[in-house]
Amino acid sequence: MESNKKYWKGLEEYKNTPDFVENNKNEFAEPLPIEDVLNEAGLSTVTPRRDFLKALGFGLGAVTLAACQPTPVHKSIPYLIKPEEVVPGIPNYYVSSFNGQSVLVKTREGRPIKIEPNPNAGEFNCGTDAQAQASVLDLYDVSKLKAPVLKENEKATWAEIDAFVKGELNKVQASGKKIRIVSSSVNSPSTKNVVADFTTAYPNTKHIQYDAVSYTGIIKANENSFGKAVLPKYNFDKADLIVSFGADFLGTWISGEEFTSQYISNRNYKTLAKGKMSRHFQFESGMSLTGTNADTRLPIKLSEQGPALITLYNAITGSALPGGALPNNTSADKAIKLVAKELLMNKGKSLVVCGSNDVSTQILVNAINAAIGSYGTTIDLDNPCKRYSGNDAEFAELINEMNRGEVAAVFFLDSNPAYDATNAKAFTDALNKVGLKVSFSDRKDETSSLCNVIAINHNYLEAWGDANAYEGYYSVVQPTINPVFNSRQAEQSLLVWSNAPVQDYYQYVRNNWEKNILPALGKTWNELLQTGVFAANAKTAGSYSFSQSLAAVAQSIQNNSKALAKDIELQVYESIPMRDGKHANNAFLQELPDPVSKVTWDNYIALAPKFAQTLGFKEFDVVSVKGANGYTIELPVLIQPGQAVGTASIALGYGRSKVGKAGDNVGKNAFPFVTFANGTLQYATTVTLSKTGSTYELAQTQTHYSFEGRNIIREATFKEYVKDPAAGSGNHGAKHKSYDLWDKYEKPGNNWVMAIDLNACTGCGSCIVACNVENNIPVVGRDEVRRRREMHWIRIDRYYSFEEEGKKNVTEEKEIAHMENMDRVSVVHQPMLCQHCDHAPCETVCPVLATVHSSDGLNHMAYNRCVGTRYCANNCPYKVRRFNWFNYWNDSRFDNYLNNEFTQLVLNPDVTTRSRGVMEKCSMCIQRIQAGKLTAKMEKRPLKDGDIKMACQEACSANAIIFGDGNDPESEVSKALRSERTYYVLEELNVQPGVGYMTKIRNTDTVQA
Amino acid sequence: MSGHNESILREPLITGQNITYAKITDDILTPVENKPNRAWWIGFIVALMGATLWVVAVSYTFWNGIGAWGLNKTVGWAWDITGFVWWVGIGHAGTLISAVLLLFRQNWRNSINRSAEAMTIFAVICAATYVVSHMGRPWLAYWVLPLPNQFGSLWVNFNSPLVWDMFAISTYFSVSLLFWYTGLLPDIATIRDRAVGLKRKIYTVLSFGWTGNVKTWQRFEAVSLILAGISTPLVLSVHTIVSMDFATSVIPGWHTTIFPPYFVAGAIFSGFAMVLTLLLVARKVLGLENYITMFHIESMNKIIILTGSIVGVAYLTEFFIAWYSGSEYEQYAFINRSTGPYWWAYWMMMTCNVISPQLLWFKKIRTSIPATWILSIVVNIGMWFERFVIIVTSLHRDYIPSSWAMFYPTWVDVGVFVGSIGVFFTLFLLFLRVLPSIAIAEVKLLLKSASEQAKLEQIKDGHLDKEQVREYVESLEKFDSVKQEEYAKI
Repeated sequence: MESNKKYWKGLEEYKNTPDFVENNKNEFAEPLPIEDVLNEAGLSTVTPRRDFLKALGFGLGAVTLAACQPTPVHKSIPYLIKPEEVVPGIPNYYVSSFNGQSVLVKTREGRPIKIEPNPNAGEFNCGTDAQAQASVLDLYDVSKLKAPVLKENEKATWAEIDAFVKGELNKVQASGKKIRIVSSSVNSPSTKNVVADFTTAYPNTKHIQYDAVSYTGIIKANENSFGKAVLPKYNFDKADLIVSFGADFLGTWISGEEFTSQYISNRNYKTLAKGKMSRHFQFESGMSLTGTNADTRLPIKLSEQGPALITLYNAITGSALPGGALPNNTSADKAIKLVAKELLMNKGKSLVVCGSNDVSTQILVNAINAAIGSYGTTIDLDNPCKRYSGNDAEFAELINEMNRGEVAAVFFLDSNPAYDATNAKAFTDALNKVGLKVSFSDRKDETSSLCNVIAINHNYLEAWGDANAYEGYYSVVQPTINPVFNSRQAEQSLLVWSNAPVQDYYQYVRNNWEKNILPALGKTWNELLQTGVFAANAKTAGSYSFSQSLAAVAQSIQNNSKALAKDIELQVYESIPMRDGKHANNAFLQELPDPVSKVTWDNYIALAPKFAQTLGFKEFDVVSVKGANGYTIELPVLIQPGQAVGTASIALGYGRSKVGKAGDNVGKNAFPFVTFANGTLQYATTVTLSKTGSTYELAQTQTHYSFEGRNIIREATFKEYVKDPAAGSGNHGAKHKSYDLWDKYEKPGNNWVMAIDLNACTGCGSCIVACNVENNIPVVGRDEVRRRREMHWIRIDRYYSFEEEGKKNVTEEKEIAHMENMDRVSVVHQPMLCQHCDHAPCETVCPVLATVHSSDGLNHMAYNRCVGTRYCANNCPYKVRRFNWFNYWNDSRFDNYLNNEFTQLVLNPDVTTRSRGVMEKCSMCIQRIQAGKLTAKMEKRPLKDGDIKMACQEACSANAIIFGDGNDPESEVSKALRSERTYYVLEELNVQPGVGYMTKIRNTDTVQA
Repeated sequence: MSGHNESILREPLITGQNITYAKITDDILTPVENKPNRAWWIGFIVALMGATLWVVAVSYTFWNGIGAWGLNKTVGWAWDITGFVWWVGIGHAGTLISAVLLLFRQNWRNSINRSAEAMTIFAVICAATYVVSHMGRPWLAYWVLPLPNQFGSLWVNFNSPLVWDMFAISTYFSVSLLFWYTGLLPDIATIRDRAVGLKRKIYTVLSFGWTGNVKTWQRFEAVSLILAGISTPLVLSVHTIVSMDFATSVIPGWHTTIFPPYFVAGAIFSGFAMVLTLLLVARKVLGLENYITMFHIESMNKIIILTGSIVGVAYLTEFFIAWYSGSEYEQYAFINRSTGPYWWAYWMMMTCNVISPQLLWFKKIRTSIPATWILSIVVNIGMWFERFVIIVTSLHRDYIPSSWAMFYPTWVDVGVFVGSIGVFFTLFLLFLRVLPSIAIAEVKLLLKSASEQAKLEQIKDGHLDKEQVREYVESLEKFDSVKQEEYAKI
């Protein structure tokens, strides 16, 4: 076709030159210099421009691709099959119990991260103590064993363990030798049943309960006096007059958080508003937390305790028991006579308690309590407390049995006698003679490291179980996380070894409840799992009369007193943070300052200021403490105002050698000072002290002990308060007109404020731990505390003032230095946290606006914006801001807390961790405020008062902290802040703090005397 | 010009005979144009070791965090801000000498302004390093600048004295640098004209094409005056604002309205002391006795007495006001200063700043070079303690006694401070080697009128009042650089 035109590519094609024809045969018209390039000569030729560009292009592409190597991706695996009840970001709460306290466990995405008191627990909801708050950290303890241990094999399987133990048990059974289960007090009904089942399978078994800190004395005394071998239920709330001889009932004695709640119910702002307040005398040698809260506290020597009780008994009953004289302590003598009068006036409304574990002493206390009609009112023997049921004599006998080679198998459940037995050496020597030694410890501790088998037990957060803290009061323990390591519940191990028909402990507990407990209460298992506790109707507390001769008792007391009255009288006691040392590897507890001495990370020997002077010791001098039994330790001296002259105090629970990274070799072990006499453990003994010449600085969070007469602390006596509720608060007369440089903040919605009742706060410190856990506050360790760098957002300031005859309280350091008699100490505890000032001095000085005010009255801290000039902290009159001096969670020097991925699981995901160089401080638990607002919004309702609770507030047994909306005149906090007692710390600076304090009231004036 | 004679009663500003313009240039450029002598090397090596210490200490801090220092929850600033204020204070004399004395036509400034200004710049550099290194997160230091940013509407807090401070210091540094460099231009051109090779090329660039024609000189004079005008308020503003870092707070001992004038006086006090410390050595080592004379030394000593006394009055006023205010916190802060755990720092400050400068009332002492040199160092020790007292003793015991704490420095604290002195001297010694330490052009202005030889000629002319001549000759007795025998016969 004509239309099929042919277009030439060029004249060459048209002309069809020979060259063109030749070249057209090739794919490329021009020859490519491939050969040239590929041979060696080609490589040395000058690269053509195009090749250069090609190479450049290729190179760039290749390098770019190579650079696309992705950075390591941390895959977060979503729930493939989402558990029904887990919603990321929404916490789940489970009821459980810790040491008999009913608690709520908050879990996030399957991780338990916080312990809160169980609001369903009714009268048993008494807040939580520091141990309970800190207990979540124990779950994530890296020092725990990851698998059971059989002899030296740290990776044993349960089958191996079971085969070994069963084999050994059968041999023991055949030989007819004894089997012993050694535990601390067990009140769990299911555990008791398990032990009973085990005993049925191996009839030679005996369950020996012993407590490192024992209450055998009271139990035996009650058996002796009333035929009831029980620890009574004390009702401090029913006592208008409380007299304590060395019982730290607000702290460590039996059940501190519960007694605190009862005690404060007669002393808080609501009761005060009704014109009522209980009265509390404390006679003790060491300054205890309870002593710091007493209206009148008198130091007495340990050897004077018995005579003092005899004096009191004589004064009340008019009898004349011998030995009732305090020749060297006239002020105590005078006070006891006065106390006797008041006790008689308050018959049936008063309570006398004594911290001694001596049977005779407790019998005398029973006699006194019977004389003042306490039984049936303030003391209840019919609904007894089951927290402690240890028997010191049985444990002492165990050592003899082991020594005689009668015991062939021994099991240690929640007990560590190689550390906390008074005669640990005798115990470990005897233990060598036992064939099968099984420990249920979760770590290689002092005892378990001597055992052939460590059948690692669950943490209580992984376990099923139950508790029975009081007669008729039951609570459940349920797991909140799958067992992290290859551990097995101790009870289950015992069931397996006894070849029980039901070996699954969950089923066992459930069966036990459904068979034995729930029918009586008319409840179901599921109801139990929801409420966590069941209390049967309490029996009526009967009144008991005392009708025995006290001659022998008085004689025994006198003998004890004489034995103590030589050298230096030493009291060994449980400290609030460390208690008996079982949780010594808990960094939160190690860094919780002792409420009285403010010492962290160590124990010490406490001496009275004047007494230390006469002995020639200064604070932090290391002294060698030699016990009557020859046991010697070296400890630094702490000058403790209020300590009785002639006495010294050392805390138990320290000096553990095999507990873990945080707790090993912190302080010295004082258990060997405990003596076993008259059938019970005695915590009073005598020591001699000698100088070693070295010094050791204790890490204290507070080093200045007086408030220098400043009106940051405002107090009044109860008598003054009754006359004028505003007494001492400074709320009198017209206020100065104040002028502001700054505009007032509008707070259209909420105005979050707080009220703190200084009369309710006992200073126990559980709020500090609660705050630590809730807000991911770093633990910094002893050295950093010594450098005064602890990170606590809430602290409790403790101030001493001294009474001088006929003078006002002496509060200034200079005057105190010249005082002759420093025995009459009064103490005030002041929780101090960010005051969320409306005119916050920190806000104006921050160059980058990292700390700003919110429209709901809070002082915010934007960590990401902070550059760390620290001016805000300098300019904070309350000194509550805390600076991250280091990267505490990722620095090998801070290895006792978060420096590993496992422990980091304890972190609250709602609160960011702070990097180094950033300021932080109390945020008023802003994550809780947000969560509360969101819940209200989802439920389409306005926020109610009480919807939002601060972590510190929730933990407080005394309800000393009240948080809420100041814009709501009906909120509890608004009502509390309207109290005449309310004042603001440093209000004269016009920083307009958002936290109000209520005056401290002391019921010191005798009503009629 | 030659017809103008200065009064014979005025003491000479240049001593020595047979001084010519060429000799001035030669004398002043000796250290720049020759290999350094042994004294310089010794000084430089020591200074460099100090600077190395600074690098080590600051790197250690950056690597580990501010926790490497001895600060704590109560004392958030200590050696860092003490060092900062100390250096800013030292940096004060430069501008005062170059600007204020220029406006007041104090010709004696011509011999010392160059070194004083260089010292200012180096001191402000040292101070600025503290501004950054004391931050918890120094890599974010630029956040205190009001820069446009991608963080949303984040801006700086104009209420914060730290922001004012940042403006004050950066302005002061820029203006001082500009003033100093402008003054250097004719002298750099002089070096350029005498140098060969690479050195010439470098100085050619540095001299900004200075030709030395009349128009250039005229503009030079005008710019100098304008910059002097701008600098003068800065002399007051910088330390006023530094003082507000404290004065705007609520901390007793800081919250004080007297701070601005008191800080400015203190700054001038310490600045002149540092000028003396440096120049007394430099004049000897570099052989510049004829240009930095006893008259200069005495004049500076007089300023030190004045400012030292102002500072002393301020200390007493603070005490009076603390008592008069009736505020228990304020009263305690001051009682604690003088009798508390840091009493020794307070009395160190009092002795060094208030008592020892009073010795300069004695002519023998203020014209004695060793005595002056020692006192100048004593003054700066005292001024360091002043800032330490203000910062640490106010913070360590403020309102709430539970938080009272002590501050104990670590080796890093000491290292950063001692190191910053090393940095300062390293820079200063390098400066002596590459730039003229005395303003050549400005000193030449004085030769015909205010030099010893000009005055001697006047005397020899014999038209002068005998009484005045006798007084003049007597005034020369204190000069260590004047050959007294020349005047024996007169």
